[in-house]
Amino acid sequence: MAKWGMVIDLDKCTGCQACTTACSMENNTLPGETWQDVLFYNAGEYPSGQMKWLPRPCMQCENPSCVHVCPTRATYKDPDAGGIVFVDWNKCIGCKYCMIACPYGVRFYADEKPLIEPDIRDVFPGENAQLWSPPYQSPDEDWRRGIGIQPKGVVSKCTFCYHKVKNAPEGIADLDEDNPDVKEYVPACVRTCAPKARYFGDLDNPESHVNQLIGDKHGVRLKDHTGNKPQVYYLGAGAGVPAFTPADRENDA
Amino acid sequence: MTTQLHKNALQGPLGWGLLVVAMAVLLVSLGYALSQIITNGHTSFNTSSALPWGQPIATYVFFALGSSGLGLIASLPLVFGFKQYYPIAKRCVFLAFALLISGMIVLALELGHVFRMLWVIPLNLQVQSAMFWMGAFYALDLLFLLWKFSKLQGGHWDSKTAKQVGIASFIGVLLASGNLALIFGMMSMRPFWFDPLMPVYFYVTGITTAVAILVLLTYLAYGFSRERMPAALIALSTGSLPKLFAACLGMTLLFITARAITGLYSNNPEINVVWADYLFKSGVYIAALLIGLLLPFIVLLSKLRNKMSIQILAAFLVMIAMFVERLYFVVGGQVVPLFKGTWIPDLISYIPSATEWSLTFIGFALCFVIYLLGEKFLNLGDMPNKMLDHTTARKPIETTA
Ligand code: SF4
Ligand code: SF4
Repeated sequence: MAKWGMVIDLDKCTGCQACTTACSMENNTLPGETWQDVLFYNAGEYPSGQMKWLPRPCMQCENPSCVHVCPTRATYKDPDAGGIVFVDWNKCIGCKYCMIACPYGVRFYADEKPLIEPDIRDVFPGENAQLWSPPYQSPDEDWRRGIGIQPKGVVSKCTFCYHKVKNAPEGIADLDEDNPDVKEYVPACVRTCAPKARYFGDLDNPESHVNQLIGDKHGVRLKDHTGNKPQVYYLGAGAGVPAFTPADRENDA
Repeated sequence: MTTQLHKNALQGPLGWGLLVVAMAVLLVSLGYALSQIITNGHTSFNTSSALPWGQPIATYVFFALGSSGLGLIASLPLVFGFKQYYPIAKRCVFLAFALLISGMIVLALELGHVFRMLWVIPLNLQVQSAMFWMGAFYALDLLFLLWKFSKLQGGHWDSKTAKQVGIASFIGVLLASGNLALIFGMMSMRPFWFDPLMPVYFYVTGITTAVAILVLLTYLAYGFSRERMPAALIALSTGSLPKLFAACLGMTLLFITARAITGLYSNNPEINVVWADYLFKSGVYIAALLIGLLLPFIVLLSKLRNKMSIQILAAFLVMIAMFVERLYFVVGGQVVPLFKGTWIPDLISYIPSATEWSLTFIGFALCFVIYLLGEKFLNLGDMPNKMLDHTTARKPIETTA
């Protein structure tokens, strides 16, 4: 079985948030429930301040702390599904411990105050146990893997678009949106990325493009000291995340 | 086999009055919380995906650790043979039960799917999770508390099984609260909590909370009058109990100071900023430290510690301060936004919502209701007969309520 991985080239990423939009369209996420997001950071100060940004999906960690802490095994890593980390919405009790334990802040408890008004959940009230039911919905739904629109009281997260990826031919090294044979199986964020900053493939296959990029261009994983060992790698400058500084102390350095 | 001659103030009209008030608070807050949770779900909480654990979790931690502290104090006489603690043993065990149930109810109202928990946790046995062990051991703890209480209720203070249940219960308490500590203490991605000594910190602060609650409620049971108290209880409350109180307060302060110094010294913003810009910028937290912990500690160091009014005041302040400590501890581990970039440029602000406050009120009111019923019907001031015989300094006084 493949080990699905993603490579994000920060020298190419323009921070346009097309991936974020594609993700929320594909997965019907709520405003603020950004399974995939582009984070912006500023470092230094005027006139030599700089802005950095990096797209941030769930890292589908090899050693996922979210899985270790989950008391119900609702969160699990599926080696038969390319090592993707899923939330089983039939088992999650909404204790939110996984949200505490994920170092990358990519888990969401959507039953929270709305990010923007009007609350879209009131506009499209939930039916059939869904938290909300918009008129357009992705046809794929698999609560065992946290795919579709979640019910109340559970945690949701990026699934590497497993509902697409699962249809990829066995043994394929890369899912490249430029390859017409597989483009339907490419995760939405990868497929939509205009400057082609994102790559998706099998980390276990030495021939895969993702592996070659990681090797040739010195791919790094974010916050590697946590030991979570992400299956998402970053290339290029900008993968260093500045330490947190409260806004009012930014100039104190 | 045992007799308790002294009239307990809560067995009279005062008890009924307080019971009515506590019931009313419980029903109103429960009604409000349920209506909010059913209609608005967790949007009625001020927690968010960026700060998922708020005051309800802190309330649970407060009660669970208070319960554990009471369990540990009860084991002083029941396991370790410190006989002077017998006069409070039964009340301790019962209160430990009341606090634990109340904490569990608050936690249940906080979870997304509480009933699902009853089958998914046993069926999936996720032994890697500290939360799994905490749940398992607190469930055991609850059973042992009930069992132990039934022994005491039957007058078995020293029997072999009572001892064995006592020992099992003592170990259960250590494991339960220790695992609760590890839920926080093992999170290396949340450095404010990450601390191998967290279980010790939870034991110490749990006992501190427990002594405060015990002192308050014991005096209440006797109508804030020592005249009504049995001699053995007076001896305890002017002897080793206030000393234990002072010692636990001292250790709590030592722990907080050590954590604050290492935190402030550290360059890591996820620890340093929490202390410098959150905890020590909060008037409530500073007041809790100085007025709620330090002041009672200093007063209890002096001879004043044997005065009832001083003990009651200290207990009240400490109880509030420990609640504040739990809240700031739970929230403090999350205020530095984790990997949100400039979307969240500052510390995450969190003020509990009305629904979250109502959960806290449910906890306190329920605990008080259970306790009052216990005082009324279960003779919580009971102690072994021989205590009444041998340590009675003066003749028990018949009081009228
Ligand atoms: S990034 Fe977070 S949610 Fe995703 S697998 Fe790693 S620990 Fe789990
Ligand atoms: S919120 Fe759900 S997925 Fe997360 S730790 Fe709790 S039970 Fe597991």
